[in-house]
Amino acid sequence: MPARSLLDLDDFTSDELTYLLNRADAFDRRPPSRNLLAGITVVNLFFEASTRTFVSFAIAESRVGADVVALPPGSSSLGKGETIADTAITLAAMGVRVIVTRHPESGFPYRLAETFEGHVINAGDGRHAHPTQALLDLLTLKAEFGRIEGLRVALVGDILHSRVARSNVIGLKLLGADVVLVGPPTLLPDAMACDGVTIERDLDAILPTLDALVLLRIQRERIAAAVLPSLEDYARNYRLDARRAGRLKRGAIVMHPGPYNRGIELTQDVFAFEGWRYAQQVSHGVPVRMAVLDFLVNGREK
Amino acid sequence: MTALLVRGGRVVDPTQELDANRDLLIRDGRIVQIAEGIAAEGDWDVLEAGGAIVAPGFIDMHVHLREPGAAHKETIATGTAAAVAGGFTAVACMPNTEPALDSPALIAEVLRLARAANLARVYPGAAITRGRAGAELAPYWRLYDAGAIAFSDDGGTVKSARVLRQAAIYARDVPVPFISHCEDDDLKGDAVMNEGARSMQLGLAGSPGLAEDVIVARDLLIALETAKRFHIAHVSTAESVELIRYARGRGAAVTCEVTPHHLILHDDAFERFRADAKVNPPLRAESDAAALRKAVRDGTIDVFATDHAPHAREEKEQLLGDAPVGFSGLETALGAYALAIPDLPLGRFVELLSSNPAAILDLPGGTLAVGAAADITVFADRPWTVDSAKFYSLGKNTPFDGMELPRKAVATIVGGRIVMRDGVVNARS
Repeated sequence: MPARSLLDLDDFTSDELTYLLNRADAFDRRPPSRNLLAGITVVNLFFEASTRTFVSFAIAESRVGADVVALPPGSSSLGKGETIADTAITLAAMGVRVIVTRHPESGFPYRLAETFEGHVINAGDGRHAHPTQALLDLLTLKAEFGRIEGLRVALVGDILHSRVARSNVIGLKLLGADVVLVGPPTLLPDAMACDGVTIERDLDAILPTLDALVLLRIQRERIAAAVLPSLEDYARNYRLDARRAGRLKRGAIVMHPGPYNRGIELTQDVFAFEGWRYAQQVSHGVPVRMAVLDFLVNGREK
Repeated sequence: MTALLVRGGRVVDPTQELDANRDLLIRDGRIVQIAEGIAAEGDWDVLEAGGAIVAPGFIDMHVHLREPGAAHKETIATGTAAAVAGGFTAVACMPNTEPALDSPALIAEVLRLARAANLARVYPGAAITRGRAGAELAPYWRLYDAGAIAFSDDGGTVKSARVLRQAAIYARDVPVPFISHCEDDDLKGDAVMNEGARSMQLGLAGSPGLAEDVIVARDLLIALETAKRFHIAHVSTAESVELIRYARGRGAAVTCEVTPHHLILHDDAFERFRADAKVNPPLRAESDAAALRKAVRDGTIDVFATDHAPHAREEKEQLLGDAPVGFSGLETALGAYALAIPDLPLGRFVELLSSNPAAILDLPGGTLAVGAAADITVFADRPWTVDSAKFYSLGKNTPFDGMELPRKAVATIVGGRIVMRDGVVNARS
C-alpha cells in the first residue's frame, strides 16, 4: 500500500478527521512524551513565500522529533529542467520520508505524490487546497463549541481564489456543519454552490444566524483584474466592522487565516471583539500539524 | 501496376447511395469496377474484407503534423503513419508550425516531405496572417497556387475583427475556405480547463464557453457580410451550434467540425491535475457534449475531425499550467466517434469522415465512384483497447488511453496501394 498523504481533507474520513482533531487537542494540552518521528527526515519544499505556515510546520516537526531540511522558495532545481518526478525520486533516494510542500499552482502536491514514495503534506497549492489551515480552523471551532456538527459557519469574501475556503468547506461538511458562502458574484460564482453549501449575497441578513464567521483575505489585484470595482464597494457589503460584529449572536466567533488587511475585509476594532479568535487559530496550527505528521507516518495511536 | 481486388466487404458510399455487399476492383490506382462477385484473375492482389465495411478513404481535415519546427513532437512521416494506422487516407495539416506555413515555399516543403513519407495524402492549410501574428494578410492566391487547401491561424484566433474582415474580403474568390479557431484570448485568460463547477472545485483557472461563442458569432457575421466561405473548427459548446444554425438560416456559407473528445469527454477529466486532457477548446460540460452529439445527428455538424495535436511525453508530464494543449487523435478517432454515437447510421458516419470534408476542402476523393482515385478505408466493429505506447504517432498522450473502443480500421488503401493492414503500416511497397 502506498504511503498516505494529506493532499486535501477529502483524503480523510470523518472518523479520521475527528481522531486527528482529538489528537491535536491532546498535543495542545500536553506535548508528546517521546519523539514520535525520531529518525524520520522531513523536507519542507516551499515554492511560495510563507511565514505562518512555514514556521508552524517547522515548530511542529521539531516537537515530534523529526530531522528537518527546509528549502526556501527558489532553491529547488524544479524549473531548471528537472521534472516533478525527478525531484520526487531524488528526495526519496536520500531517505526523505515526508515532503511538506507549498506551490503556487493548484495540484502540485498531487503530481508530486504520483511518484514520491513517501508522505506528501499539502501546505497550500495555488487556489486549490490548504488542508492543515482548515484543520486548525476546525480545531478552533471544536475548542470553542465542543463540537462542529450543527454549527452554522460562514466563509466570507474571495471564495473563488481561496484554497482556505475550499478545504474548509470539505472539512466542515465532513463533520456536519452547515456551510454558508458569502461574497459578490465575481468572487463567488453561482456554480460554486453544491450539496450542503448555500450561497448568500447579503451578509447583514445572515449575521444573527451564524455561530462562526471566517473572513478571507481580499487582494488589491482584484481591482486591476476588473473583478472588484473598489475596496470601498466591497466594504459596503462585506467588511466586518464593530457594527456588523455586534449583530452576531452571543458567543459567535470570527476567524481569519491571515494575513489580514486592516480596513479591507475587517476594521481594526474587530480585534477588540470578544469573539476574535485569530491568535487561537495560529496557536492551533502547531498541534494540528504534529497530529498530521504523526498520523501519516505512524498511523493511529495504538 | 497490377490490379487489386477488395473482396467480400460491405461497401458504404453515400455519394452513390450505396450500402451493399460488393467487390471492388482497382487498377492503376483507380477504381475501375464495383460489382457483386468479381472473379479474381491470376495476377491480381486480393484483399479479403471478410464482411468489414469498405468506405471512401477517410479524410481528417484537422491535424497538426508539427513539421517544420517541432519534429520531436511529430514528423510528417510519423503523423501520416498514424493517419493510415487510424484509417485515414488523407489529412489536412494546420499551419501553426515553426515557422508558420505562410509562404508558397513552406507549402512546397510540406508537400515534398509528404511525398517522401508516401503514406497518407497531405493537404496543407496556410496561415491567414503572416507568421500567424494577426496583423498582415498572407498571400492567398500564391498560397492557393502552391497547394494550400484552406487558410487558418489555427491554434489561435485572428484577434482583430478588422484584419479578419479585410482578409475575408480580399480572399473571397480564392476557392478555399477560412478555418476559424474560435477562442477569445482575453476571456480565456490563463485557463487550463473549462470554467464551471469542476474548475472552481479544483481551484483551476477556467475558460468560459463564452470565450468560444463570442468569436463564433463574430466570424459568422463576418462570413455573412463578406460572403467568404468559413469553416468553424472544433466546435465545443451548445451555444456555438445554435449560432451556426442561425447563420446558416441567414444564408452564410458556413460549415463546421467536431472532435471525438468533445463528443465524449467532459471537464471531470482533471481530477488528479494531470495534463492528459488539457486541450483547446477545453473539454466542456456534459450538457455541451450532449448538444454536440445532437448536432451531429441533425446535420448541423458537417465533419468529424480529430485536431490531432501530438506532443512529447515529457511536455505533457509537466504541471497543468506549463503543459501544452492537445493530444494524439488519429489512431483512436474511428473508435471514439463510434463510441460517442453508437447508433449513428453508417452512411452518415462515412459522410462525416469522407465526402463532407472532401467537398468542403474541394479535394479529390470522398467517393468510390468508378474512375476515382482508389483511396479506401476498410473498418469493422471490433472492440479494442487503446494502448498509446503502440501508436505510430510520436505523441503517446491521449485521454482515451486504456479505454475500450468499439470500432477500428482494418485496412487503409491510398492510390490503390495497401498502406495499412490489421494495424501494421506498410511504408514502402
